[in-house]
Amino acid sequence: MKLGLAIALMSATLLAGTAYAAEKRWDGADDLPVNPLACSAGEASAAPAAKPYDGGQPTNAPDKAGKPISLVDVPKLIGIGYFNATTKGMQDAAKALGNVAAKTDGPTEAKIDEQIKFIDNYITSGVDGILFAANDPVAIAPVLKKALSKGIHVVGYDANSTPNAREWFVNQAEFNGIAKAMIDSMANEAGEDKSFAIVTSTFTTPNQARWIAEMWAYAQKCHPKLKWLETVEAQEDNNLSFNQATTLINKYGDKLSGLFGMTSVATPASAEAVTKAKLCGKVAVVGLATPNAMKPYVNADCVKSVVLWNPVDLGYAATYVMRAVVDGKLKPGATSVEAGKLGKLNVVNGSEILLGAPFIFTKQNIKDFDF
Amino acid sequence: MTATTLIHAEASPRRLLKALASQEALLAIAVIGLAIIVGLYNPRFLAMRNLSDVLLGNAYIAVAAVGMSMVIISGNIDISVGSLIGVLATVSGTLAVEGAPIIVTWLAPLVVGILVMAFQGAIIAYLRIPAIVVTLGMLSILKGGLIGVTGGKWITDLPDSFHLANIELFDAVPMPVFLMIVATIFAAWWMRYSAPGRTIYAVGGNAEAARLCGISPPRATVMVFALHGFFAGVAALLYATQLRVIQSTVPPNLELTIITASVVGGVSILGGVGTVIGSTLAAILIAEIASALVFTDVSPYWIRAVQGVLILITVIADILRRRRMARA
Repeated sequence: MKLGLAIALMSATLLAGTAYAAEKRWDGADDLPVNPLACSAGEASAAPAAKPYDGGQPTNAPDKAGKPISLVDVPKLIGIGYFNATTKGMQDAAKALGNVAAKTDGPTEAKIDEQIKFIDNYITSGVDGILFAANDPVAIAPVLKKALSKGIHVVGYDANSTPNAREWFVNQAEFNGIAKAMIDSMANEAGEDKSFAIVTSTFTTPNQARWIAEMWAYAQKCHPKLKWLETVEAQEDNNLSFNQATTLINKYGDKLSGLFGMTSVATPASAEAVTKAKLCGKVAVVGLATPNAMKPYVNADCVKSVVLWNPVDLGYAATYVMRAVVDGKLKPGATSVEAGKLGKLNVVNGSEILLGAPFIFTKQNIKDFDF
Repeated sequence: MTATTLIHAEASPRRLLKALASQEALLAIAVIGLAIIVGLYNPRFLAMRNLSDVLLGNAYIAVAAVGMSMVIISGNIDISVGSLIGVLATVSGTLAVEGAPIIVTWLAPLVVGILVMAFQGAIIAYLRIPAIVVTLGMLSILKGGLIGVTGGKWITDLPDSFHLANIELFDAVPMPVFLMIVATIFAAWWMRYSAPGRTIYAVGGNAEAARLCGISPPRATVMVFALHGFFAGVAALLYATQLRVIQSTVPPNLELTIITASVVGGVSILGGVGTVIGSTLAAILIAEIASALVFTDVSPYWIRAVQGVLILITVIADILRRRRMARA
């Protein structure tokens, strides 16, 4: 009797859970509003309504317009090719500007608590500006607000915080832009009505969750026949990513026609898994990755498109934005900012600076990049 | 409390029952049982290719757990091993892209591993600093040093001949699986039947008693750590040569996975008890569970919870077993 009741209760909970899951987005996606781009490249997408400035402001920041400033950059973690490239861009910009000293320091693992400690230490030791790429948009907010309250300028890049915890955020590519490039490449390489799975870092990593949400929305609109099989987590761990990709290949067999790598670690590991399973040409690998790690697979024709922006440009733009903020040239309400060799960059979403359209590395151009 | 047995499961009328109740037997049953259950849910799980991939991708954890088990049995602990494996992988990969002879790139991690670990063992043994403190220090040194020296650059463009893990012996047995089996069997045999192997149990069971029997506990500690360094070197080699990219960060939480394999394998955290056969079986079980969760569509969040439950069950079982032995 009791057992029957327990089973009934459990199945009810499970059913409710399934019903709930059906309404939700795809696994690994967040539940923020989505804005899929137009299907064909020619069509202009609807311009989003202009949003008022929603960033924060430092209190009593010293006026250092035109004067030398020292910046610290605290990325999600140091020691991966991607953030090495953003650091290079910052150094390039610092050299071009001549009155900026920038250094990069941060945790060796993508851990928010360690990142907060690093930022806190630099607030104490004193800098003019902090550049960051957040491991968690909400958890990082208090320490950034603390920096603002001490008169330190705060600009984010790569991974955002809640808007009022920083002044500006340099957006490497709008999520819907990346999503379109990813889904279009997959539909093109695997086939319109084929099945694919996703290897991501974790279901709650902000960038990856946003991309997956936009990919889902764009696919519903423009490639509705693509079949979504599953998302698996692989942290930012090389071997785990390889094992997870291999497991997906073994689980789905012939049904699997494509793998998305959502991180610069997951994409080469997925390509390696496909190579080892001798499925190059049968399972398409499309993903975000840095060129050096993908060269063996692109050159072997196992991977056709690697989607990314240019992280060197991203670090470069972030440094120029910081300089413009300190110089009073980029104020709330501005619609664009000058960023050296990158020219004029547009303000979007209230307090974000857009770097541009995503960049696709192919066999033809990948040799020109070294990061 | 001195009743810690050095040699367990000796002749007894209930020998068979006892053997079946041993940690190794339980783990073997769990490995096979889980495969059958998941196979019923999704037959693809039992495909040869999948089973061998599970072993292939995780053999390095089992190899590292062999050394870790020796360290824990000797009454010590090492939490620097994950960082060391990261460093050794980078050492090996750097030599490979610099054009060193392949044999040198393969031997270097073994030699450096032995040196680093023997050094730690000597500090622990002769300066009498607890292993957890020494290895915590080494963890930070290695982790920070790796980033400092490499500047965070990944190693790419590795020569094809470097990839030891991709070699198949007799076109059938992948190198990682071969090394895992050889390391386990050799270490198990050596620990059970050789005099120096037995000293590991003696020192871990009761260092004072071992000393009175003429064993030098400090020397045994250095030996155990040196061996642990050797196995860490082999693990690093498998880790480094499996993929075509070597990250310059140390693999996250690797030391915890390795320690988990040892503890779940029946190695007592109090020292003196356990076998490397148990730790290898446990490493296989943990890898199998990770794969099974994907095959049964269970959220990957559960892998950590499942590992935690396994640790708790084994540690509680170990404590209960010790109480029973103390009473007997």
